[in-house]
Amino acid sequence: MIPLGELDDPRRRILIQALAAGFFSSAGSAAAQLFGKAPGKLPPGQSIYRVSGRVTVNSQEATLQTRIVPGDTVETAPNGEVIFAVAEEAFLLRGGSRMLIEKPPSGLTTALRLVTGKVLSVFGRGRPTRIVTSTSTIGIRGTGVYAETDPEQTYFCTCYGIADIAANNDPSSRETVSASHHDKPLYILAKGKAGGAIRRAPFINHTDQELALIEALVGRTPPFVFPVDTYNAPRRDYP
Amino acid sequence: MRRGEIIPSVAAGLALLAPGPAHAAGYSEFLDSLQFRGFRAEASYTTDDNVTRAPAGDALRDRMLGVRVSAGGVIPLSTRTRAAVQGYVGTQRFSTYTGLSNNFIGAQGDFSFRPSGEFGAPTYGVFVRTAKEEYESTLRDGYRHAFGATVQKPLTDRVQLLGALARNITDGKSAVFDTRNTSLRGSADWSLGRWDTVYLGAEYRSGDSVSTVSRNDPIRTLGFVNTASPNIIQDDAFTDTTRDAYRLKAHTLIATLGYNRAFGEGHALDVSWRRAQSSVQNAVAPASGSDLSYTVNQISVAYLGRF
Repeated sequence: MIPLGELDDPRRRILIQALAAGFFSSAGSAAAQLFGKAPGKLPPGQSIYRVSGRVTVNSQEATLQTRIVPGDTVETAPNGEVIFAVAEEAFLLRGGSRMLIEKPPSGLTTALRLVTGKVLSVFGRGRPTRIVTSTSTIGIRGTGVYAETDPEQTYFCTCYGIADIAANNDPSSRETVSASHHDKPLYILAKGKAGGAIRRAPFINHTDQELALIEALVGRTPPFVFPVDTYNAPRRDYP
Repeated sequence: MRRGEIIPSVAAGLALLAPGPAHAAGYSEFLDSLQFRGFRAEASYTTDDNVTRAPAGDALRDRMLGVRVSAGGVIPLSTRTRAAVQGYVGTQRFSTYTGLSNNFIGAQGDFSFRPSGEFGAPTYGVFVRTAKEEYESTLRDGYRHAFGATVQKPLTDRVQLLGALARNITDGKSAVFDTRNTSLRGSADWSLGRWDTVYLGAEYRSGDSVSTVSRNDPIRTLGFVNTASPNIIQDDAFTDTTRDAYRLKAHTLIATLGYNRAFGEGHALDVSWRRAQSSVQNAVAPASGSDLSYTVNQISVAYLGRF
């Protein structure tokens, strides 16, 4: 008689070996990559929720196990995208972007330098934050924002919350935006007339579903209940 | 005609969508709170292998061009509830059987409730839709109404589910085209990336359906339905030969597979295939339900734009 606990069936043995080798976990991870997963608060020690295409952290290839902390530089290839959280802040960095998460100076909890590219970010309440782009410096408090920057201009949408926006090359171009739902997207130009480097912009390139997703990674929900579907691609109505 | 029965039910649906304080003073405030969501346009090319909705021997193939323009807005009612209204106008032009070409104008109202802004929170809704349709032929002219309930829920960050239960009503100039059916449908949107979505749908419809068959096979035709008026009439949309349109009770299964490729936030190309399979519920001897089944395949390419 075979004692309990001993493996008499070779199929069971293979199954258990496959389990031990992480076969099912990698199958699950492939399914998650394909069909996605329901976002929730990231467990302690995990920074990255999803990585696709080529993404590096401090020039090292990023994986789901990569930790991201203040002082790190995150970079995405044109076909890359990474969704991650650092402390109470969460980010969706689109392709062709380079962002430094700086060690915050005194008085700030987060400092970002978006050298180039596109980032959607959410920040915890009561956490003063500064974002520096190629053409602007933005101070924010407990908000969700989307920024795109290149040497000529920065696109900046205060999705909700308050942002103090200043043009880097023109101290007289300043504006404070208090928004509840993408109320006032702006362009901040590198070269503009004195006092005129900040202009109104249309709503582009980010969605409410993406905001809800990255807020979920840090255990929060956005202040709006209904996502606005005009930010998504048009779909056919059902006949 | 059953217009007298239809209007109260649609009115009841509209009443569901009306805001509580509909007094004159609050009415302008209510309209002021409308957030315009812009215009949408759709231009489509569709092939349909069975425009007669008839068994294989009588199935006729055709192609159609469609254009539809809509405009709508949202009215926030509270943090968790909102109403949406949409008006639309459009045309469908058939290539061969031009009697099926039509123009339409309609409106839809939706009331939605979402318990929270959490990523996975469902959105519950009720809707009512009504449209006036004018065909190149006469018998089909009339109204098309629908009302029902929907639920929408993100399952994951790539998959979104939608379910709907609807009552569909048509009110044509001929009583043959006065139909009522109930549909239950579910669909899943699968995002392959930011700009690519595959969608899959399944629908079950039960109730009235209209088929058109040629009169040269009277035994089969007469077997389909109780030929007492108002179940059958000579169809004026087809002039190639004498064909009769007849109303019957049917079970219909509809499957949809589609792909939406967006070009930015304002434009998209949509390719879809729909297959419908219908069988009669109340065949009259000597015909049986299996004699009276038909299938339809539609392949459609559409450009969608928002302005």
